[in-house]
Amino acid sequence: MAEVLNANPTIRNASDLPSRRRQTHARSSSKYPKGLISSTVPPSAYLPDPFSPSSSSDSELSDDDDAEIEPIDEQEIYDLISPISDPEHPLTLGSLSVVNLPDIFLTPTFPEKGSSSPLTTLTVLITPTITHCSLATVIGLGVRVRLEQALPPRFRVDVRIKEGTHSTAEQVNRQLGDKERVAAALENGTLMGVLRKMLEGCENGAG
Amino acid sequence: MPSVFSFPRISQLATLEPSSPSRAWLTAPHPTLPLLATCSSDKTVRIYSLTTFTLLSTITGGHKRSIRTCAWKPNLKGESVLATGSFDASVGIWRHYDNDMSPKPKEVLSGLDFDARDKAIANGEMGENAEEDDEEEWRFAIVLDGHESEVKSVAWSTGGNLLATCSRDKSVWIWEEVGEDDYETIAVMQEHEGDVKCVAWHPEEELLASASYDDDVRLWREDVDDWGCCGVLRGHGSTVWCVAWEGVVPEIFGDVEDGQKDLKEMWVKRREASGPRLMSCSDDLSIRVWRRRPKEKVQQSRLSIIRSGSSEEDWIEEVQLPKAHSRPIYAIAWSKSGRVVSTGGDGAIVVYEERWKKGSIDPKSKKTGDQTNGVDGEQASGKPEIVGAEPMEGVTKEAETTSEENGQESKETEAEELPEATDWVVVAQIEGAHGVFEVNHVAWALRRDKNDGSNVEQEEELIITTGDDGTVKVWTMDV
Repeated sequence: MAEVLNANPTIRNASDLPSRRRQTHARSSSKYPKGLISSTVPPSAYLPDPFSPSSSSDSELSDDDDAEIEPIDEQEIYDLISPISDPEHPLTLGSLSVVNLPDIFLTPTFPEKGSSSPLTTLTVLITPTITHCSLATVIGLGVRVRLEQALPPRFRVDVRIKEGTHSTAEQVNRQLGDKERVAAALENGTLMGVLRKMLEGCENGAG
Repeated sequence: MPSVFSFPRISQLATLEPSSPSRAWLTAPHPTLPLLATCSSDKTVRIYSLTTFTLLSTITGGHKRSIRTCAWKPNLKGESVLATGSFDASVGIWRHYDNDMSPKPKEVLSGLDFDARDKAIANGEMGENAEEDDEEEWRFAIVLDGHESEVKSVAWSTGGNLLATCSRDKSVWIWEEVGEDDYETIAVMQEHEGDVKCVAWHPEEELLASASYDDDVRLWREDVDDWGCCGVLRGHGSTVWCVAWEGVVPEIFGDVEDGQKDLKEMWVKRREASGPRLMSCSDDLSIRVWRRRPKEKVQQSRLSIIRSGSSEEDWIEEVQLPKAHSRPIYAIAWSKSGRVVSTGGDGAIVVYEERWKKGSIDPKSKKTGDQTNGVDGEQASGKPEIVGAEPMEGVTKEAETTSEENGQESKETEAEELPEATDWVVVAQIEGAHGVFEVNHVAWALRRDKNDGSNVEQEEELIITTGDDGTVKVWTMDV
């Protein structure tokens, strides 16, 4: 992976990408508008207007979703973020193996306290196509934004660069983990333009 | 006095209504009036009543992006001034005549009879039509431009004449009010290597603390004519989100009896020499307490500003509070009574107290900790659930240690080597203060909704939390 030039990335065939039996449960793929996500997330959560504060949609979500109808699993997370487009290529993060199913981790936030807390920590490790990819931050931000807008607010989303895959991983991780910076970035029109384009493929029929 | 088995419990008193539809960042209690200012990502500041817990007015129209921070100017009479800092890189100064805010009985309230007015406010006699009037009465007096990117924090000096601001542009600015609505930049300090997240003024001196993305806390003061960095407090392993100063008169909880009195005296003496301590909280999940090491001559006088020579400050990390958070700690606040409250991404509220240590005071001393109460060993535990259950007054039983400490004092001029006579313990905590949402800010405010007069001499402190759900919640500490 490290040898691959950014101009000529390895592309995985769509049929090779991890996917839940697409037929059995309508919720697994973004191609199915009736999936879990579209039913639990109001359409407004899906970036029609990136400038509207994302937390407004969060607050609408909170009550319905906390009752945990069905647990959200790693595949579900993968399906949310794999269709995100690379900012440089007309390819998805899934097909570029920037996001990978084994690099998605869901853990209760307070494992030591039993199940009393509904909070879930979601860690997504992303693998930039080349180790000095200057767009790693933007890609990470796209993943974080996608997840924060699509998931109920009980999720704590940590997006990080997979260890050893990027020269300035620590710096990128710090930025992606900084709530205040992320919030400010979402109010930056230029950056949101880039993110909106990346997330176009994710809209899940919500318009 | 509470019974031996009692310990405080946090319970919700109110949710301010109506709340912001989107993330609220911070709530600043007014220095004298029963008012709260809440800044929100919807580009407004909401002014709430602390007597009725309802919205009085909304400040809109000044900022183009999220309002991240705000601060009330202290030492004003008859007028309130609020500084706001926004992601749009600007700082706004807003003015409001207090009487406008006002309650119905005009004859009482139009004059400068603050007692009467406060009483009326405390009685909940806020005008029902206050809101419609007030919308216009908040005047956007002036905008302070200069920062290159998001303003993260603003703070007025205790005297009110200086305003400090900080930004993602890594700089700390100090503005001086030189005339009505006229501010001059008197310092732009750029030593931080990352976003400056928070600024806070020393309660007695013109000494500023700043917290940064570069993991450092810096101290700033004016030396001769120039403002500059006079100290770097290193220790945190990640972004420092917030710094807070100790109140002027610190208190250590629990009583000291007989033999321990001398030790207490030594501590108090050192406290007075050091002045208020500083506390910082971080993404690294720790809260650290920093203490100034007074210089020789400073010990003689509390007016340390006057001393000549280097302005360098010598600060040490005194202690870390028990770990109680599992996600970044975004805010801490030091109450007038000496309690500390913290909150953060895990949505928990945690309250700490500094107590006279139980059991053996000093491992170096000959004391072996064979106290009669047998409760030592639980303090300083990393497990807040346990320490929180420790009865507060249990502390009073230990005594001893003192004659030897006196012996030590003579050879340790600065009392730096005082045994650790206090412990920070978690006395109360709750999880999910704002449901599943993160809590961005916490503050203390005096309780103002009770007016039965019975509790006047004992000021009750409330905890005010501000969350990603847009709500502001008010909490009491029951005993």
